Amino acid sequence: MDQSHIRNFCIIAHIDHGKSTLADRLLEYTGTISKREMAEQILDQMDLEREKGITIKAQAVRMRYTARDGREYELNLIDTPGHVDFSYEVSRSLAACEGAILVVDATQGVEAQTLANLYLAVEADLAIIPVINKIDLASADPEKVATEIYHIGLPRDEIVLASAKEGIGTQDVLEAVVKYVPPPKGAGEMPLRALVFDSKYDAYKGVIAYVRIVDGAISRGDRIEMMQTDSRTEVLEVGYFSPTLVAAGTLSAGEVGYIATGFKNVKDCQVGDTVTLAATPAPEALLGYRPAKPMVFAGIFPVEGDDYPLLRDALDRLKLNDASLVYEPENSVALGFGFRCGFLGLLHMEIIQERLEREYNLDILMTAPSVEYRVLKTNGEELFIHNPAELPAVTQMAKIEEPIMDISIFTPARYIGTIMELVTARRGAFRDMEYLEEDRVHLTYRMPLGELIVDFYDQLKSRTQGYASLDYSFHAYEEADLVKLDLLVNGQSVDALSLITHRDKAQRQGRLLAERLKELIPRQLFEVPIQAAVGSHIIARETVRAMRKNVLAKCYGGDITRKRKLLEKQKEGKKRLKRVGSVEIPQEAFMAMLSLEEE
Amino acid sequence: MAQPSPLAQYVTPPSERLPADPQRLDAEAGRTDVDAQAVDQAGETSDPLLDTISLYLHIPFCHAKCHYCDFNSYAGMLGLRERYVDALLAEIALAGRRSRLPDGAPRRCRTIFFGGGTPSLLTSAQVRALLDAARTHFALDADAEITLEANPGTLEYGHLDELRAAGVNRLSMGAQSFDPALLKWMGRIHTPREIETAFAAARAAGFDSVNLDFIYALPGQSLDTWQRTLDHAAALAPEHLSLYSLIVEEGTPLYTWVSQGRVRPPDDDLAADMYELAEARMAAAGYRHYEVSNWARPGHECRHNLTYWRNLPYIGLGAGAHGWYTGHRYAEARPIREYIARVTATTDASTSLDEHTELPLPAGAVVDDEAIPRELEMAETAMVELRLVEGLRLRAFARRFHTDFQTVFGARLGEVWSAGLLEVEGDMLRLTDRGRLLGNEVFARLLPDTPALS
Ligand SMILES: Nc1nc2c(ncn2[C@@H]2O[C@H](COP(=O)(O)OP(=O)(O)OP(=O)(O)O)[C@@H](O)[C@H]2O)c(=O)[nH]1
Ligand code: SF4
Ligand SMILES: [Mg+2]
Repeated sequence: MDQSHIRNFCIIAHIDHGKSTLADRLLEYTGTISKREMAEQILDQMDLEREKGITIKAQAVRMRYTARDGREYELNLIDTPGHVDFSYEVSRSLAACEGAILVVDATQGVEAQTLANLYLAVEADLAIIPVINKIDLASADPEKVATEIYHIGLPRDEIVLASAKEGIGTQDVLEAVVKYVPPPKGAGEMPLRALVFDSKYDAYKGVIAYVRIVDGAISRGDRIEMMQTDSRTEVLEVGYFSPTLVAAGTLSAGEVGYIATGFKNVKDCQVGDTVTLAATPAPEALLGYRPAKPMVFAGIFPVEGDDYPLLRDALDRLKLNDASLVYEPENSVALGFGFRCGFLGLLHMEIIQERLEREYNLDILMTAPSVEYRVLKTNGEELFIHNPAELPAVTQMAKIEEPIMDISIFTPARYIGTIMELVTARRGAFRDMEYLEEDRVHLTYRMPLGELIVDFYDQLKSRTQGYASLDYSFHAYEEADLVKLDLLVNGQSVDALSLITHRDKAQRQGRLLAERLKELIPRQLFEVPIQAAVGSHIIARETVRAMRKNVLAKCYGGDITRKRKLLEKQKEGKKRLKRVGSVEIPQEAFMAMLSLEEE
Repeated sequence: MAQPSPLAQYVTPPSERLPADPQRLDAEAGRTDVDAQAVDQAGETSDPLLDTISLYLHIPFCHAKCHYCDFNSYAGMLGLRERYVDALLAEIALAGRRSRLPDGAPRRCRTIFFGGGTPSLLTSAQVRALLDAARTHFALDADAEITLEANPGTLEYGHLDELRAAGVNRLSMGAQSFDPALLKWMGRIHTPREIETAFAAARAAGFDSVNLDFIYALPGQSLDTWQRTLDHAAALAPEHLSLYSLIVEEGTPLYTWVSQGRVRPPDDDLAADMYELAEARMAAAGYRHYEVSNWARPGHECRHNLTYWRNLPYIGLGAGAHGWYTGHRYAEARPIREYIARVTATTDASTSLDEHTELPLPAGAVVDDEAIPRELEMAETAMVELRLVEGLRLRAFARRFHTDFQTVFGARLGEVWSAGLLEVEGDMLRLTDRGRLLGNEVFARLLPDTPALS
């Protein structure tokens, strides 16, 4: 297709504002998907996405559209996730596009990720089309929302009103895309340069790279080279997304599609790399992406030690489909061999956990998440600590720093007080408050990430009846008076339970954690003391009393088989407990610190 | 294990082990090597008992279903009673024939137990007919223990008198509590008064071996109410008492209430206190604690139930009845109609006698049949014998399985040994006082690691 008739755009928004539903309407309107094949949020194809009703992976799809001007256009759409954890998906998608549709819910208005994603799109130099969605709802207030959109710097008269549910405004959206999104600029006659913005693994075709062709063209059978890794291969197939993969002979400059590389090794084809032709390589690679920066870290261990190699393979595979996942081997005294993994946030962590369990059938145990601390040792050495157990002894540390986040909260003005209280309790510092509307404000703070990952979002939501929205990004490392809190079970320190916390909070957290563990650890044959300690100083103590009664009252002729099976079941159940020394600890205990705050 | 258990000294050096006696299991009941330690309550040696049976007859009728009950019992089905008894009679005949000794003589039967449900809902004529059939088809001991379970709400002197005359010599009554509120809560149809009346009637009818069942750890029950029930029970002076901690069984109304949070499940600590209180009170009243939940005047231990706890063979007949015979555990169909239909079908089929099977019943009558491998039989034997206060007889165990208890289980019991749940005295291995309350911890460790094929 003539490059001037190609439009590449993505749909961005705050979570749940209707991106995927709008994509449904576009696909339907352009006849890409027939009414018969249509399903709600059809681009959310992963089981987890359908179950949770949210988009996790960005998804590209090609459409053909005959515009009001009578000409046919090739539109490449990328639907993106709205949750803050997945903004890396958004940034990568933006790099493959010239425009973005910014969807805003007519009942909610501008929220934290509306702004965050808008900034990303502006930074990427994209044309932006504001769309107010859900105007069908009784509580919709398009006028007010239009004002908010105007306040964040977008022209009021270019706003499209739509209801993705009712199919209102669909054609207007498509027309706006044709009109405002510029055609791709790349040159067809230049050496091939294609940006890998995503990938997945296929058992037959190897690594499938999702690409945006910037310059040149690529066809089946071409010998290609990955400019970063220098790996070479022969192209098995090229094609586009419909949204399933559809083979095509060639992809040329400006187009979005896929390349089946045949690579069997994940490391040969990395997201952000540039594909070029081996015979006529481009002189310079594309800019690529800043690698995703993991925010939270947790240990993942197989419940059965034998599953360690399976866990490693599963992580390798997941990594291919999720470039932001990082991991390295970890060895815990309590839990054995596993991996310390870095995630973009708690939802990301939860999703990886669920995917490992479901897609790879693994029985895994996760430790409580921690952040990355920067330690300067007295000998001048600099360390990044992702695992509290690895914190050097106090005497060896000159200083310890923690990540501080810029946080951004959109909320009805009536919750300012309660949010203020919450943030202050989490060692946050106020920065600014801006009125968007008479009764809606944008608050900004700085807060340690370590405080943010412990239940902050849930607290914010529950204290504002769900009205407040949150976004955050890394600001800087700052020194803090942090200590390591250890938990001793039956006199033995359990490394997987250690955590790093502020000195002022250690006492209270130690007490709460000991109490919580006391509830979680089942009574054993003997009394089990639980202690919380900072250094050699015990700051809290609880006792799990010895088990007193566990016997079947009756066992007669008819019962013997049944009772035996009952005992066998109990025995199976015990296998899900982790033995640390002579004590059996349930898996939830390793996550206990997450549910400690504000009882 | 870290430290050798005190049991180690009981490992018989291989050279001293009794030679395996191939005739042992199929030998007739006349073995003479009486081992003083192996004499059980009834004054018999344990080995020859493996060639005898106990007979369990299940009577699945009840007036009303109690809220906690998961027995195979049904209310409102009394109309099927005649046909049901006919089916039982047919099965007794069949099982008697199929379990004959190699020389064609009927097999020795030591005890009969009418369990339920509510067996006292049978007419005395029906009970008599069933006992006659048992006498015809088995070699029933002259002094056989013949127990019948009864609901104090359905007992009258006349009926009891006839039952006694029919040969029933032991009565087991589900008294459950002397607290009227708790009885009501359980859905029992009787009152505390009726327990006393029924008990007096049983005595008048000549029952000199009577058991009363009680339940504790009931929601809302205090240590105090439990003590009053215990004292009241002791005052009646039955020969035998079964005291059960309430079990919340799946599928019962109680289970639903507990899972909906409407009823608080029994608290383990309070239940343990109640158990210890019972032990003290019963001892003071002159009862001997002989099994986890059972107390008796010396000589009145239930011989039928000892069959289960010594893991000796028994034949169970009736809807949902289980049996343990020639290495198999089997069960019959639970629904009354299905049970009757299966029995009718199998007794009509002329081939059923020739059919080759080790079960006392034809395959058509059996819905579950599990061959118990030796390893599992050892575990089950240990599991049930350890329920006995007296404990497991180590030498008898070695004789039965041709291997030592310690060799088989020693390595798995390290933790429970060091926690003080087990002790050895002479030839007996038993749970300690603390161990009795924590029996499952020991039992679970006895089971083979990979569940037996099922
Ligand atoms: N009434 C109404 N509901 C809508 C409309 N558009 C979307 N929804 C509903 O809003 C919810 C979220 O829609 P999605 O399309 O999944 O939102 P999203 O922006 O893709 O969400 P994420 O990908 O998780 O960020 C769904 O329940 C939709 O049915 C609309 O125009 N009107
Ligand atoms: S009387 Fe016994 S068998 Fe019948 S329902 Fe009550 S507890 Fe169950
Ligand atoms: Mg979506």
